Amino acid sequence: MIELLDRRADEAALSTAPAKIEVRGLDFFYGKTRALSGVDLSVPANAVTAIIGPSGCGKSTLLRTINRIYELYPDQRAHGEVMIDGRNVLDPRYPLSELRRCVGMVFQKPTPFATSIRKNVAFALSYYERLPKGALADRIEDALRQAALWDEVKDKLDTSALSLSGGQQQRLCIARTLAVRPEIILLDEPTSALDPISTAKIEELIHELRRQFTIVIVTHNMQQTARVSQRTAFFHLGELIEDGPTSQIFTNPRVERTQDYITGRFG
Amino acid sequence: MPLRRKLADLLALLFAGAATLFGLTWLVWILWTTLSRGAAALSPALFTEMTPPPGSTGGLLNAFYGSAVMVLLALAIGTPVGIAAGTYLAEHGRHSRLAAAVSFINDILLSAPSIVIGLFVYELVVRPSGHFSGFAGALALAMILLPIVVRTTDESLRLVPNQMREAAFALGLPAWRVTSRIIYKAALSGIVTGILLGLARIAGETAPLLFTALNNQFWSASIAQPLANVPVVIFQYAMSPYDEWHALAWAGALVLTLFVLGLNLIVRFFARKGSQ
Repeated sequence: MIELLDRRADEAALSTAPAKIEVRGLDFFYGKTRALSGVDLSVPANAVTAIIGPSGCGKSTLLRTINRIYELYPDQRAHGEVMIDGRNVLDPRYPLSELRRCVGMVFQKPTPFATSIRKNVAFALSYYERLPKGALADRIEDALRQAALWDEVKDKLDTSALSLSGGQQQRLCIARTLAVRPEIILLDEPTSALDPISTAKIEELIHELRRQFTIVIVTHNMQQTARVSQRTAFFHLGELIEDGPTSQIFTNPRVERTQDYITGRFG
Repeated sequence: MPLRRKLADLLALLFAGAATLFGLTWLVWILWTTLSRGAAALSPALFTEMTPPPGSTGGLLNAFYGSAVMVLLALAIGTPVGIAAGTYLAEHGRHSRLAAAVSFINDILLSAPSIVIGLFVYELVVRPSGHFSGFAGALALAMILLPIVVRTTDESLRLVPNQMREAAFALGLPAWRVTSRIIYKAALSGIVTGILLGLARIAGETAPLLFTALNNQFWSASIAQPLANVPVVIFQYAMSPYDEWHALAWAGALVLTLFVLGLNLIVRFFARKGSQ
């Protein structure tokens, strides 16, 4: 009970906190198909915001807009504004490299690069910063510790990242993202390809990381949403139906469709 | 199982078995003939002496040297261009019309008769320069190698899952760094396989060399001059009426066959390493 009250107080504080990401009037198109229409969403700093909704509702699309990764595909377009710290990152003049350094992303399937564990973490880091050898090793250790992977890999940093288990690979991907010291972390169904134990480890990790980072997570798993997030946004058919504190969305949603989805009536 | 299906199964198996046997018979026959006739003519002199005039003994040193030089030069020309073009097709031009056109033309080049390529280089290099040369031969071989490398590079890069590209780009790295450090590494075994297969192919090509490198009875290290090479020497010696030349042709054929066989074994090794 006390925990729940704590949680409510926690969440209430977030509602008034300044937004780290402010999405305004966002439309998204895959060719001629509209995937998002008129999305307005505030994402508070130092909290976990969960994006939920049935398949094809645009959750991943929203995530892919925030770091502009969709630009890899010429037929995908976004209109509207995504403000991070008050600057519109969809503006083509916004430097992509700076944006993606600030906004890290971890994908559904673990994507270790076909090289050693050490080089996976060092790869982006040594592109952004010219570090002497010792400092680089420290940063690699820091990142692996932050991703709760250090103890498992400290004796085999030079073995192939492909030799790790799925859960370890996913934490390596998180470490790789953390190494460049981002401010925002986007997680696109990070545990859907993992076993329950690995999933628990990642969730614990998300809980830890929340103190330092702004986290946006897309998930299909309602329990996971309740466990890890403070804010929840429900999407359906490319529209934001409802967003608010997670406890409110789960116990007292304002819109019937949200209620139906959360209770498993569709989706 | 009903009798009809059992019978159909048996028939299909018989046909498939017979077809396999039919194909393999010729292969084994060719290999056996090459091996037995070639082994009889093998000697240390093969690798230490020059091609002899009719009626005396000798080796194929100048032909081996010429072939090695031209094949290596063809690799040096064809591989970088092929990898660059394959990279363009797979990584940068996926949605462009130019890439579609390049890909189509590459397919045509891939199946172009090698003698046509020989004639093309003849017009391009041999006629303007006034003489046959090892360089012209290497250029012709490079043109045969090129489309193979382009195609296999393109295909191996496309096999790299898009998620890996997205993950690398999501770290904010520029395209050239993503391609050179991440994607090439993931596609390495496929790209190397393609180069080795191309190498095996050009090592035995005869037609494009007839109009370009021609042949040389004597030792010549210069690629500006006509250059001896194994396939053309085999051709010339096999057509001759001299027994010593016949024996050398068999020996050359054996060495060439073993070389290509060895390359294919290495390719299998790489392909298996890549699939793990």
